[in-house]
Amino acid sequence: MNVPKHTSSALPVGERLGFVAFVAVSILFAIFFLMPIIWSFANSLKPAAEALANPAALFSKAFSFENYRRLENVGAGWYVYAGNSILIAFGTIVLTVLVSVPAGYGFAKFRFPGQSLIFVVVMATMMIPFQSILTPLFLILKILRLQNNLFGLVLIYVTFQLPFSIFMMRNAFDAVPRALIEAARIDGASQWTILRRIMLPIALPGVATVAMFAFLNSWNEFLAALIFLSDQNKFTLPIMLVNVSSGIYGIIDWGALQAGVTVTMVPCIILFLLLQRYYVRGLTAGAVK
Amino acid sequence: MARLQLKNVVKSYGIYEAVRGINLEIEDNEFVVFVGPSGCGKSTTLRMIAGLEHITAGEIVIGDQIVNRLGPGKRDIAMVFQNYALYPHMSVRENISFCLEQQKISKEEIQRRIVTAAETLHIGELLDRRPGQLSGGQRQRVAMGRAIVRNPKVFLFDEPLSNLDAKLRVQMRTEIKRLHQLLPTTTVYVTHDQVEAMTMADRVVVMNGGVIEQVGPPQELYHRPVSQFVAGFIGSPAMNFMPATLVSGGKGLLVQLEDGSSLPVPVARIELYERHVGKTVTFGIRPESISDRQERPGFAEIQAKIDLVEPLGPETMVYFAVGDRGLCACIDPESNPKPKSTMPLSFNMNQMHLFDPTTGRSLAMG
Ligand SMILES: Nc1ncnc2c1ncn2[C@@H]1O[C@H](COP(=O)(O)OP(=O)(O)OP(=O)(O)O)[C@@H](O)[C@H]1O
Ligand SMILES: [Mg+2]
Repeated sequence: MNVPKHTSSALPVGERLGFVAFVAVSILFAIFFLMPIIWSFANSLKPAAEALANPAALFSKAFSFENYRRLENVGAGWYVYAGNSILIAFGTIVLTVLVSVPAGYGFAKFRFPGQSLIFVVVMATMMIPFQSILTPLFLILKILRLQNNLFGLVLIYVTFQLPFSIFMMRNAFDAVPRALIEAARIDGASQWTILRRIMLPIALPGVATVAMFAFLNSWNEFLAALIFLSDQNKFTLPIMLVNVSSGIYGIIDWGALQAGVTVTMVPCIILFLLLQRYYVRGLTAGAVK
Repeated sequence: MARLQLKNVVKSYGIYEAVRGINLEIEDNEFVVFVGPSGCGKSTTLRMIAGLEHITAGEIVIGDQIVNRLGPGKRDIAMVFQNYALYPHMSVRENISFCLEQQKISKEEIQRRIVTAAETLHIGELLDRRPGQLSGGQRQRVAMGRAIVRNPKVFLFDEPLSNLDAKLRVQMRTEIKRLHQLLPTTTVYVTHDQVEAMTMADRVVVMNGGVIEQVGPPQELYHRPVSQFVAGFIGSPAMNFMPATLVSGGKGLLVQLEDGSSLPVPVARIELYERHVGKTVTFGIRPESISDRQERPGFAEIQAKIDLVEPLGPETMVYFAVGDRGLCACIDPESNPKPKSTMPLSFNMNQMHLFDPTTGRSLAMG
């Protein structure tokens, strides 16, 4: 018998052209989005003068870590700010996960009076623009003596992270089939065992997504950090970047700024790549029954 | 290894009563199949036995313990779900051992039991795979493995074969039955497929609208249905029903059909039906009780105009009409009638049924 073989050359010409066009356009877009990152990185490795004179060049003969060294002289030194940022991001992730996982579990798997109302109220807080409540927040933190305090800032970030995170976790737990929980109950598992051994592992993409967003949002946040922190030693990386760019006498130290941007960006990129697999699944979990 | 008793068990969802008072005693090691149309409360009953649904009223006893207030994990039961409900993030081995771990059984014992179960179900080489990497039939086996390692008092199955294709379903059906012979355990099996019910059950429970219509061994349900519902539900192709009148004529009784033809009631049945003379009844006869063979005692012959012929191999189905009722008969494949032809068909009146047209009860019952 003669079985026709399907190889790429067997594809109709139109389809093949379409595929080539698709790849070309995709590459174009990828370059479009990657270029700023690549430029920042490239410029951070040039001497200051070179970076200023020739910012668009990707490679230069003079390679140096000079910019990174100069970052140490910005305020308290970049590692202090990086340390602050890490503390804040870590605190935000931990608190957000600790609150949103049980909350999402509760909303997904238990029925209690006022459930939908409470859920709507939680979701509604997402609609309030952060800027509009800066003053009351500032006053509250002042009363709590948490103003100019890293933990106070973590609380603020967690507050704004929670509605989305609870929503996310509720969907993640909702997507766990009821029969699995019933099977586990018949197997004699306690409520706690069910959460730990069955629900959480299956809802892990949701947790990864929540952690990811908590990290990105607290790591990159600028306005609240600027307003609620006044002590130079407590600043975060985004504030440091502003300090670099408006350096001494208002001259922008282009090279140092790019070095700062690179330092800020690298953890985000690494984390994103690490969690990418979970993260994409998490966003769509529960979308299709 | 235990008796299972349901005493007047009721389940309401708000004002809607899904199960309306069920009484049933299931003997030790008995294989009981619940069968009935969709929405009749089979799953609800099973889930109440499992402890997954609260019981609105009544009592469920496993062994000699009332389990109404016991959680599903404390009832010592195992359940196989329709969609298997295997834990997707665990390997087959972990799926099977999960319940044993909850019971704090030693590692060696768990290992030993897994090996035995895997041998019984031929899933030894699948132990390190995830459920997502298994075929439907293999998942089915793993789900059963998870049930048998516990050595429970009662096995519960909720339509375990309905996700499989027809061939695999027949294969797994015999396998479940073999498994039950190998490891005799009290078993409650829910299905809406009456063939599954007939082939597997020691006793079949026919449910309808939240109540039990009839309980009995498959043959009894087939030969002596207590109601038109059971008669129509059990057996395939389904029993033929026709409105008729019971009249007395000559030496005995006659069933007078709508088209005027009358069929004599066999002498042996006269006493049974005598007190219903003159009443409108529903006459029921199974396709396999209508044949084209020569007339014998107790057979009543009619001339049938054939509409449609379906040769199945071992037998041939013919469809014909009496009055405006379509009927079906199972005849000898050798006779090979032509559509639109007329042929004599004889009703084996020894296997006739009469039902009350309003209540649907069989008139053969007291
Ligand atoms: N949680 C619930 N709330 C309200 N009504 C319910 C609920 N669960 C089941 N019912 C109703 O109870 C009745 C019996 O349901 P059940 O699932 O036992 O049917 P079944 O016999 O298993 O049917 P099937 O063959 O389709 O599985 C149905 O009419 C169903 O609509
Ligand atoms: Mg059901």
